[in-house]
Amino acid sequence: MQLCDLTAHEIVERLRRGETSAEAVLDSVLARIAQVEGRAPRTAPYPPSAEEQAEDRRHVHAYISLQAERARERARSIDQARARDEALGPLAGVPLAVKDIFCVEGTPSTAASRMLEHFVAPYSATSVTRLEAAGAVVLGKVNLDEFTYGSSNESSAFQPPVGNPWDPSRVPGGSSGGSAAAVAAGEAVLSIGTDTAGSIRQPAAFCGVVGLKPTYGRVSRYGLIAFASSIDCVGPLTRDVTDSALMLGAMAGADPQDGTAASVPVPDYQAELEAGVRGMRIGLSPDYFRIQYPDAKTGELREQEIDPQVKAAVLDAAQRLAGAGAEIVENVPMPNTRYGIPAYFVVARVEAASNLHRYDGVKYGHRTARPMADLRAMYRASRGEAFGVQPKLRILMGMYVSAAQYEKHYYQRALRVRTLIRGDFEAAFDPAGLHRLDALLAATTPTTAFELGALYGDSVLMQYADLLTVPADHAGVPALSIPAGLDRGGMPIGIQFMARDFDEARLFRLGRAYEMSTAAEAWRSARPKVLGGG
Amino acid sequence: MAEWEAVIGLETHIQLSTESKIFCRCRADSWGQPPNTNICPVCCGLPGVLPVLNRGVVEKAVRLAAAVHATIAETSYFARKNYFYPDLPKGYQISQYDEPLARGGYFDLPLPGGATRRLTIQKLHLEEDAGKTKLAGGQRYVDMNRCGVPLVEMVTGPDLRSADEAAQYLIRLRQLLRWLETSEANMERAQLRCDANVSIRPAGAIHLNPKTEIKNVNSIEAVRDAIAKEIQRQVREVESGGQVEAWTLEWDEDAGMLRKMRAKETEGDYRYFREPDLLPIRLDEAWRTRLLATMPELPLERRARFVREYQLPEYDAEILTEERSLSEYFEAAARAYSGEAKRVSNWMMNDVLRLVREHPQQAGQPQTAALAGLTPAHLAEILTLVDSATVTLATGKALLEKVIATGTPPRAIVEREGLAQISGAGALEDICRQAIAENPEQATQYRAGKTTLLQWFVGQVMKKSRGKANPQETAHILEKLLVG
Ligand SMILES: [Zn+2]
Repeated sequence: MQLCDLTAHEIVERLRRGETSAEAVLDSVLARIAQVEGRAPRTAPYPPSAEEQAEDRRHVHAYISLQAERARERARSIDQARARDEALGPLAGVPLAVKDIFCVEGTPSTAASRMLEHFVAPYSATSVTRLEAAGAVVLGKVNLDEFTYGSSNESSAFQPPVGNPWDPSRVPGGSSGGSAAAVAAGEAVLSIGTDTAGSIRQPAAFCGVVGLKPTYGRVSRYGLIAFASSIDCVGPLTRDVTDSALMLGAMAGADPQDGTAASVPVPDYQAELEAGVRGMRIGLSPDYFRIQYPDAKTGELREQEIDPQVKAAVLDAAQRLAGAGAEIVENVPMPNTRYGIPAYFVVARVEAASNLHRYDGVKYGHRTARPMADLRAMYRASRGEAFGVQPKLRILMGMYVSAAQYEKHYYQRALRVRTLIRGDFEAAFDPAGLHRLDALLAATTPTTAFELGALYGDSVLMQYADLLTVPADHAGVPALSIPAGLDRGGMPIGIQFMARDFDEARLFRLGRAYEMSTAAEAWRSARPKVLGGG
Repeated sequence: MAEWEAVIGLETHIQLSTESKIFCRCRADSWGQPPNTNICPVCCGLPGVLPVLNRGVVEKAVRLAAAVHATIAETSYFARKNYFYPDLPKGYQISQYDEPLARGGYFDLPLPGGATRRLTIQKLHLEEDAGKTKLAGGQRYVDMNRCGVPLVEMVTGPDLRSADEAAQYLIRLRQLLRWLETSEANMERAQLRCDANVSIRPAGAIHLNPKTEIKNVNSIEAVRDAIAKEIQRQVREVESGGQVEAWTLEWDEDAGMLRKMRAKETEGDYRYFREPDLLPIRLDEAWRTRLLATMPELPLERRARFVREYQLPEYDAEILTEERSLSEYFEAAARAYSGEAKRVSNWMMNDVLRLVREHPQQAGQPQTAALAGLTPAHLAEILTLVDSATVTLATGKALLEKVIATGTPPRAIVEREGLAQISGAGALEDICRQAIAENPEQATQYRAGKTTLLQWFVGQVMKKSRGKANPQETAHILEKLLVG
C-alpha cells in the first residue's frame, strides 16, 4: 500500500497529523504513473505493430497531458501553508486527475479531439477552480471518448486507448474512462468527470471505483466543453463514498457564470454519512434487470436479461441493506426505461451537433493547412480533417433529426419521452404514491467491462451499455455507482442508487452503509491486474 | 401610380442601451473601438463557456413591449438559431423563437393632417448581435466587438402605406426608444436597424402580393428613398406585364439604388431548438409590477396633455415633447412659474432651445444636459423677474447664459451684479441728463426738429446702464428733458 493508494480523507488526515507531506503524496502518485501508465497517448496514426500493441495492452494510458511541475508547485505551497500552521482545505494535497473535457487555465484542453489538440484554455472550469481552492492538486488531464461521445474510450483521437487497470485488454468504460482508470490504478486519488448517459457511473462500475452523477444543476458546467447541455452533469470519481461526498461538497453550488447551476443550498454531506438506512424504502425494478432494444433489422423490441452475476450483486446489496434496517420494495415499474436510449440518441445528438458548430477553424482549434478560396470549403476541410468518426456521426444524425421536416417526428417526441421517464421517477418517489421510495437500487451496467475492439464501430450496441444509466440523466435525478464485487473473470461489478432531486446525501448514506456491510468481503482487498492483482 | 397601393412592413433591430452585453460583462457599446478589443471568452464562444442573462436587457425590453401595448409572456424561452458564418462565433445565435418575450401590440402613428395610423406589432423578441466581417486585400477579417450586443427585434404588420409613412414610423419609434431609455437609437451607429418588406396591390384590395425584402438601410432618409424606389420599380414591373418576385434587395447608399442580393443556399432551416444553457425568462408578478410602475407617460399622451392642460398650440406641444427630458423640463418650469404656460413655451422654443443647439451634447445625453445650471425653477424665476419689471427683457435673456454657466439663482446674480432695472425719476433721470450733456450736438439737432434722434438717445442710455434701463421710461424722460 502506497500513499497513492489511500483515499482522499485518509491523505488529508495524515497531512493534518503531520505524518506525510503533499509533496510525498505527489511523488507517490508520479511514481505510480511511471510504473503503470505506458507510453503517452498521441494523435499519431494508430494501430501500431503487434508487439507494440501487446505492450500497450499491459498499461493504462490514462493521461493525455501531465502537469507535474504545476502540481509540484501546488503541493509545495500546501506544505508551506501546513508548516505555517494554516488551516488546510478539505482536499489539501490530494492529487486530482481532470477529465480532458474541462478547461484548466494555461493547460491544453483537448476534448480528446484533433480539433482542440493545441487549444490552451485561458480560464478554468468553476468545478476545477473550487476543487483547487479546497486544496486538491491537479496532476493533469485524462483521456476520454472524443468530445465524450462513447462508452469505451476507444474513440479518443489520442491513442493507445485507456486500458482497464483490472485487465488492460478490456475497456475502462466511457466516456470518463481515463478518470476511472486513473483512480483505480492509483495514478490519481480523485478524478472529476462528466455524465451525460452514464459517462461517470459506467466507467466507475467497469473500473471498480465510486462514481456520482449529481442532480442536474448541482455542479456548475462553466468551463466544461459541452456535449448535451441539457443533460451534462459534472461529478466525482473516487475510491470510496466518503471521498465522493467530500468532493461533491467542495464543487457543488450556485455559480454566477452558469445560470443553470441551482441555488439550492449545499448540505454538509459528511454529517450524516454514517447515519444508516433504517426505515429507508429502497426499490427494485424489473425494468432494470433486463435490457430492451430494437432489432437493428426489423425494429422489433428485443429483450435480454442482464448478466446474472451483476443481477446477483444487486440482490445481495438489497439483502444487506434490508439487514441494516431498510425496507425493500420489489416490482417497482419503471416502464419508460426502454425508451431511454432512443430518446437520448435524438436529444443528445441535436444538442451535440449545435455545440460542435463553434469548431469551424475560424477562431481557434484546427484549421486546414490547405489553402481554400471559399469559406464553405474551409469549413468542410477543417471539420472533416479534425473530427473523428463519433463527432461526425453525431453531427449527421443531429442535423437530420433537427431538420425542419423531421423535427416534430424525432426531437419533439424525444423531449416527450424525457418527460415520461421523469414521470417514472416522480411516481416511484412520490411520498403519497404507491411505492414511496427513498431510492431505487439497480445494476449500473448490464455486463462488466468488455474487451477492447469488441464493440467499437457498432455504435448502437455500445450505446446499450448505457441503458441502465441514461434514465437518471434524462430525469435529472442524482445517481451513485459503487463497486459491488468482482465477476468470475475478476472484473468489477457496479451497482447504483438513484434518488430524488438534490438528495445526494441519501445516496452517500446508502453507499456508505453498503461499504460497511461488505468491509470484510474478500473482494474488498483485491488489487487490479496492473498492480499485480488478479 | 394612383391605382396602386403600397403595403409595407418593417422589421427593426434595436440595440438596447444596457451597460453590458446580453450574456457577458463586456461593455454593450463599442462604437469607435479598435476591432476585437471589447470581447471575452463568453461572447467569442470559446469552448466550455456559458451565457448568463443580463436582467437589465429583459427590463428594457419589457418596458418597450408595454409601451407598444404588447402582451408580455409570463414565461419566454431562448432558442438557438443554427448557421455558420465567421462573425457568429458559436455557430448559432441565441435568439427567441416560438415563445418570444411579447406578442400582439400596436403602435399609433400620427400622420400629417391629424389622422392616426394604427400599426400592428406582431412580436418582440430578444437576441444577441453577431460580429462584423469585411474583405480587404483578398483576406476576410472578423471583428467580434458587436458579438453579444443586446437586441430587440420588433416586427410590424404590413400596415404602412407609403415610404413617407415608413420614415415617420422610424422617427416616432426612435423618439419612443429614447424616451423610454431603451436605446440610443442612432441609425448611423447601427443601434436602430431596419429591414423593409414591400409589395404593391390595387388600391382598396385586401390581399397580399409577393413582397421583396430591403436590407442594409441605415438612415431614415435611406429607408424613405429605398422604399420609394422599390414601389416605383414594382409598379413599372407589373404595369409592363411582369411579376414581382420575392427578392432580397440591398440598398447601396452611395449609388442611391437597390441591388438584388444572392440567394443564400442554406436559407430557411436554422434548426431552432430551446437553448439549454439558459433558464426560461420568468416574469413573475412582482418583477413585472416593479418594472411597469416606473413607466413614464408616453410622448403622444404627453403631447395631448400639454395641449389640454397648458393650452399649448399643437406645434409647441409637438416640439416640447420631441424628447422626454425637454418635456419634463418644460413641465417643471411651467409649474414653478405663476404666469401662463405659453410664456414658458415661448421662452423655451425661442431662447432655451437655441442655447441647447449652441451647446451640442454627446450622443446619448438628453438635450437638457446642455442647460447645466439652468434648472426649470431658475427659468421660471427669470420669467418672473422680467414680468415684474425687476429686470429688462434684454437682461432676462442675458441671464439665461449666466445661469447655465454658473448655476447661481438668477435673483442672486441680479443682486450681485446690480442688474436690476433702473427706473424712476432719480437714478434714471441722472443717466439721461448725462447722456444729453455728453452729446450737445445731437441734442441741438433734436431740438431743431430731428425727433428721430430720440431712439439714438435711448440707445446711449441703455449703453450707459448696461441694459438695465427701462426703455419706455427712458424714452419718456429723455423726451421731457430734451424739450425742456
Ligand atoms: Zn464578452
